[in-house]
Amino acid sequence: MGLIKKLPVYSEKIPGGGLVTTSVETVLHFSQACSLWYLLFGTACCAIELMCTGASRYDFDRLGMIFRASPRQSDLIIAAGTITKKMAPRLRKLYDQMAEPRYVIAMGGCTIKGGPFYYDSYAVEKGIDHIVPVDIYIPGCPPRPESLLEGCIHLQEKIKKQKLSDWQEK
Amino acid sequence: MTREELKSYVEGHFDGKLKSLDTGRYDPIFEIQPSDLITVAKALRDDESLKMDFLCNLGAVDTCEKLEVVYSVASTTKNLRLDFKFSLPYDNPEVDSIKEVWPGIDWYEREIWELYGINVRNHGNLKQFLLPDDWDQGNPMRKDWDAPDFIRMPEV
Amino acid sequence: MPDLRTQEYMVNMGPHHPSTHGVCRLILTMDGEKVVDIEPVIGYLHRSLEKVCENRTYAQCIPIMDRFEYVTSMSTNQVFSLAAERLAEIEVPERAEYLRVIMLELNRIASHLLFYGTTAMDCGALTPFLYGLRERELIIDLFEMTCGQRLTYNYIWVGGVSKDIPPEFEPKCREAIKIIGEKLDDYQGLLNENPIWLARMKDVGILDPDLAIAWGVSGPVLRASGVKYDLRKDDPYSIYDKFDFDIPTLEAGDNFDRYLLRIEEIKQSIRIIEQALDGLPEGPIRGKVKANFKPPEGEVYCRIENSRGEMGVYIRSDGSKKPLRVKMRGGSFNQLQVLPEIVRGKGYYIADLVAIFATLDIILPEVDR
Ligand code: SF4
Repeated sequence: MGLIKKLPVYSEKIPGGGLVTTSVETVLHFSQACSLWYLLFGTACCAIELMCTGASRYDFDRLGMIFRASPRQSDLIIAAGTITKKMAPRLRKLYDQMAEPRYVIAMGGCTIKGGPFYYDSYAVEKGIDHIVPVDIYIPGCPPRPESLLEGCIHLQEKIKKQKLSDWQEK
Repeated sequence: MTREELKSYVEGHFDGKLKSLDTGRYDPIFEIQPSDLITVAKALRDDESLKMDFLCNLGAVDTCEKLEVVYSVASTTKNLRLDFKFSLPYDNPEVDSIKEVWPGIDWYEREIWELYGINVRNHGNLKQFLLPDDWDQGNPMRKDWDAPDFIRMPEV
Repeated sequence: MPDLRTQEYMVNMGPHHPSTHGVCRLILTMDGEKVVDIEPVIGYLHRSLEKVCENRTYAQCIPIMDRFEYVTSMSTNQVFSLAAERLAEIEVPERAEYLRVIMLELNRIASHLLFYGTTAMDCGALTPFLYGLRERELIIDLFEMTCGQRLTYNYIWVGGVSKDIPPEFEPKCREAIKIIGEKLDDYQGLLNENPIWLARMKDVGILDPDLAIAWGVSGPVLRASGVKYDLRKDDPYSIYDKFDFDIPTLEAGDNFDRYLLRIEEIKQSIRIIEQALDGLPEGPIRGKVKANFKPPEGEVYCRIENSRGEMGVYIRSDGSKKPLRVKMRGGSFNQLQVLPEIVRGKGYYIADLVAIFATLDIILPEVDR
């Protein structure tokens, strides 16, 4: 009861006044989408573009994305760079250490299907989608920072469209 | 010393152990006997007018008939550079380690051991390092190497 | 406590560790908090570039070379083109040589700016990272304007360059190097007298010059130890002998000198670019080269100075349109080999080790290939 008495006081503070009613689902997914912390997982060339995106000009922070060095604190792996056969088990391990809900962005040709090393390479894993489930693919070699930002926005939209019932089924 | 002078100097010294080849397209290249490797390396490093103290590169080549090992060395004080090489048979190729002459050759020797299967005598630390830990498919840089998931680029 | 017993233990650092600039694993033997020994484990980025190149024509190899050392892709293009040109005796027009030098030096500055940012970040300072990458973007814009790519340029081709610079390149380039030249004081002001930075940098990670040469260390790391050895002067390639610039050297060989030396190198690169822009001649940008040219049988090892030391490539041709063997040599390969020698027995902490790793400026694709 206490809350209901106090509620008008809070709602006055919303710009323009008024009351917002919404579902838990929307609030939950909205906040999830707006604070995606990503794991700093860069292996090759694409990692430099990932770094540029995080730095001054492109500025990841405005999407609420901050890099984390530990998989236990992150919601998202941006797999930037070639995944070799030697690295593949480590990627899986990092993914397994992350808490649900977790997302994966495959950045660059290498993570999609081996990129320039599809032919003639004995050491490159041809695509990461048989190691971890991928949510968003960003093509390019390397993708421009703009396309990475675009990919992240798409991921946010995908998260906002989720339903709580999807989680119960899992 | 110009490149031509270097070529004749090296041919004239070192008891004729380094024989000049005409396949070198820029810097002079010499052929030696595999058994002379350590002597030649030491002589090149200690020679007063060469002072080859810097090891640039070591690479193996598979020519489909034999294996070759090419050493590229340079001098930081005299601005000279040369290559020397020798051939090895396909079966049981072996070279001596020259870590005592240029310690920096350590990983290069590991690499030819791992990728070409050339055994390096007296190396002491021949461990797999580039390939995955559970690799069991042989020496991938050899020309006749193949594997089920190895896709060659089609001719266009 | 009479029978206090101590024991060495192992710590595994990497392969996924933000301060290893890629994927490198270091197995540390520790005594308390001090590092006793290191064993680097590499190969997590071994993409078999050499095998890939064996099945490509010479022109197709150049994009693969881009991935060999992506921070200074222009140098990789240059070293491969130079080797192929020496093999097939191809002439390069003068304008192309000038454009190459401009691009190589711009790329060197970009690489050193990245070094500045990431090294400071490894030591806990985030602002230099933002500053360094902000100025780096100016150079990336210039590259993008010329060849359309931000990172993997495929710009320097056998026999010349792929495209001419647009007319607005020159004013933009002069403006960019002017801005960078002015900002260098800011950069140094942020770090040079910072006590935390000095504690990590001064007298840490000393590399003896004799040890460095014996282990094949080259580039800024070698020059910070007092050896004046720069291939741009000592084994001139392209048209570097036409320009007037100095080779800075420092004596101490510690982390701090390696950092200062790179800042000095940026100044020298700016001098070279200014001279090259002033003297840029008119003319064609590419010699007559067939798309699938066939060099005669032979072999060549060719080396240039890039921002991490001697970068070399050995090409063996059997007279066909594809090389029989391409062997790449990167400066970082030797720098990483010498890391245990620097650290062993000196009693450094892990935080010092991170700083040493950063100032050696190791990037892993060059090591693993
Ligand atoms: S997609 Fe291209 S740029 Fe990205 S890691 Fe692969 S090769 Fe490098």
